[in-house]
Amino acid sequence: MSILISKNTKVIVQGITGKEGQKAARAMLDYGTNVIAGVRPGKAGEMVEGVRVFDTVQDICNTYGNADLVSAIYVPPFAAKTAMMEAIDAHISQINVIVERVPIKDTAYCLAAAREKNIQIIGPSSLGYIAPSIGRIGVVGGPKDLVNEIFFPGNIGIISRSGGMTNELSWQVRQAGLGQSTAVHVGGDLLMGTTYVDLLRLFQADDDTTAVMLFGEHGGSYEFEIVDLIQNGEFSKPLVVFVGGTFANTLPEGMNIGHAGAIVERGKGAKEKADALRSVGVLIAERYEDMVGMIS
Amino acid sequence: MNLYEFEGKQLFEKSGIAIPHGFVIRRGDNVVSKYNEFDIVDVVVKAQVLSGKRGKNNAIRFCSSADEVQQATEELFAMDVRGQYVTAVWVEEKLNIAEEHYMSIVYDTTNKQPVFIYSHEGGMDIEDVMEENVIKIPLDIRDIEWNGGNNLWEDGLREIIKKLWQCFLEHDARIVEINPLVQTRDNKWVAVDAKIALDDDAFFRHGSTNSPQVTNWEEFEPRTMMGRLPTDREIAVKKIDEGEKYYQGTAGKYIEMDGDIACLFMGGGASIANMDALMRVGLKPANYTEYSGNPPREKVYELTKIVLSKPGLRGLWIVGVVSNFTNVKETFLGTIDALDELKPSFPIVIRRDGPFGEEGRKLMQDCAERNNLTMKIFGKEVGMGETAEVLAELVK
Repeated sequence: MSILISKNTKVIVQGITGKEGQKAARAMLDYGTNVIAGVRPGKAGEMVEGVRVFDTVQDICNTYGNADLVSAIYVPPFAAKTAMMEAIDAHISQINVIVERVPIKDTAYCLAAAREKNIQIIGPSSLGYIAPSIGRIGVVGGPKDLVNEIFFPGNIGIISRSGGMTNELSWQVRQAGLGQSTAVHVGGDLLMGTTYVDLLRLFQADDDTTAVMLFGEHGGSYEFEIVDLIQNGEFSKPLVVFVGGTFANTLPEGMNIGHAGAIVERGKGAKEKADALRSVGVLIAERYEDMVGMIS
Repeated sequence: MNLYEFEGKQLFEKSGIAIPHGFVIRRGDNVVSKYNEFDIVDVVVKAQVLSGKRGKNNAIRFCSSADEVQQATEELFAMDVRGQYVTAVWVEEKLNIAEEHYMSIVYDTTNKQPVFIYSHEGGMDIEDVMEENVIKIPLDIRDIEWNGGNNLWEDGLREIIKKLWQCFLEHDARIVEINPLVQTRDNKWVAVDAKIALDDDAFFRHGSTNSPQVTNWEEFEPRTMMGRLPTDREIAVKKIDEGEKYYQGTAGKYIEMDGDIACLFMGGGASIANMDALMRVGLKPANYTEYSGNPPREKVYELTKIVLSKPGLRGLWIVGVVSNFTNVKETFLGTIDALDELKPSFPIVIRRDGPFGEEGRKLMQDCAERNNLTMKIFGKEVGMGETAEVLAELVK
């Protein structure tokens, strides 16, 4: 089992004719993910990586229906809002926004629209996710030989604010002789479509996930939501968290490093988050290298 | 990008929110003639810095003559405010204040929408106001006009709220804050301070190529949150990133710091964790620098050269995650070009893996041999943080 994706999932790539979209389509197909179509207005009928291109998301839905349909968006930042809204209007139930540097206003707009239709948005600035041997969205794990070196079906759920660390933590898990259930890069933006607690709820319900590793970040309040989740009894599996950015305390307030969401704010630093999480029984890693040792 | 008070006030004014009459003083300006021209006797003289708490730090002065303004300006330019460099001084009319209120709009990450925050107790930090005296109203970013939340406010106040919402939307702001929002004795509402943070990712719709009605963000002067003017290296790195649009944002972070270990990190999240790791082994970073995505070779070359250009370096740490798709060989070639040219004599420790990782490390090894560099290279068999310890040993 896995969260977010199954063997029935059908993926469409918005922006498939662009360099990144094409690369992602290839990467997903290589991993056995069922990429059924791509979108690029004005390019209907063309083929990219053996995948048929349509003018609109709606055209794809008209052809295939929208059951089990999942979208991955690879368009430039200025076109992200239009692409997201197109998928939302077509009732695509899960939309992965791989685009980086989407204006917050556009993100907030689409998140509000998606919420009304109960649509799940992952990202923006997400690299995607991977459920070993089931499929992946985006290029998480990299080329075929590398991805199989790092990812192996197992019981550890992985959530990361950082794309690189999604891979790095998964590699630690593998080095320790364990495997991953699903590894998700939630993206580094201020507003996250799918948050830590959204995923922890899914991992809680997933029988194959026995523990979760989470790479967080200073700034924002998403880690504090976990405290409430655990106190409400909605998550009870072992959880190890690393919150990067102790050094950020040496920087002036309001500074922005690492990701867009990692703003230095008093009371929301790495230390405050670690203390709050520790108080509800979450294991806090001082170094991210220690995470896998703590969970096993 | 965070704005100075005087810049924020200009945006408020454009949105129809009243601000006190005032003028900007720069270093070298003739203060006396500016004050005399202004023709209002009682003024407030305020240091322009990117942090708050100016009042408590003696960075706001009340003056009533040219001499006083002259002296206050000189003093303000000579000080820093909580470590922040004073960029300019803003002089404005002193108002007859009846009441001070607080008002802001920020993004609430829990609801993922903006939230309007108001208190009738303005003039102090909103964190210090009792919870029951703070009103929070969730907003919907899709509302192009907002009525100000019905009948909670008198008409004058409601007008300000509507305009503040317009200001927030029009300028792609992350934060708009008026504190204090003053009600004068003659019953006018005036924004006496302005705190605005703009969303850098919305730059594409606020540049010189956009409509003339749009405030051109390119005209804002360069700034850094580090409490000083941006250094030459910081400005140079920004320039590198301006190149071809497709690659913008892949190599743009350089913050100059006090230490002597040059840092070249890959991956936003890992870079922060690795700064922590470096400090844990007792080394001090000369800079914070990170690239991610697939920056072209030339960009990495220029970035590496800038990272290595700081005097007094004792080591170089090049560390990154097992990348998902960044081509390690291509990006390393940029660094190799720089190392071939500069041949640094201090120790270099590298940890990196991912697509073409082995090829990249082999080329790096060749570079070390032909230039006689002290270099240790690791792949994913060794953790990132462990290599900080290796560097610490070598530097000793």
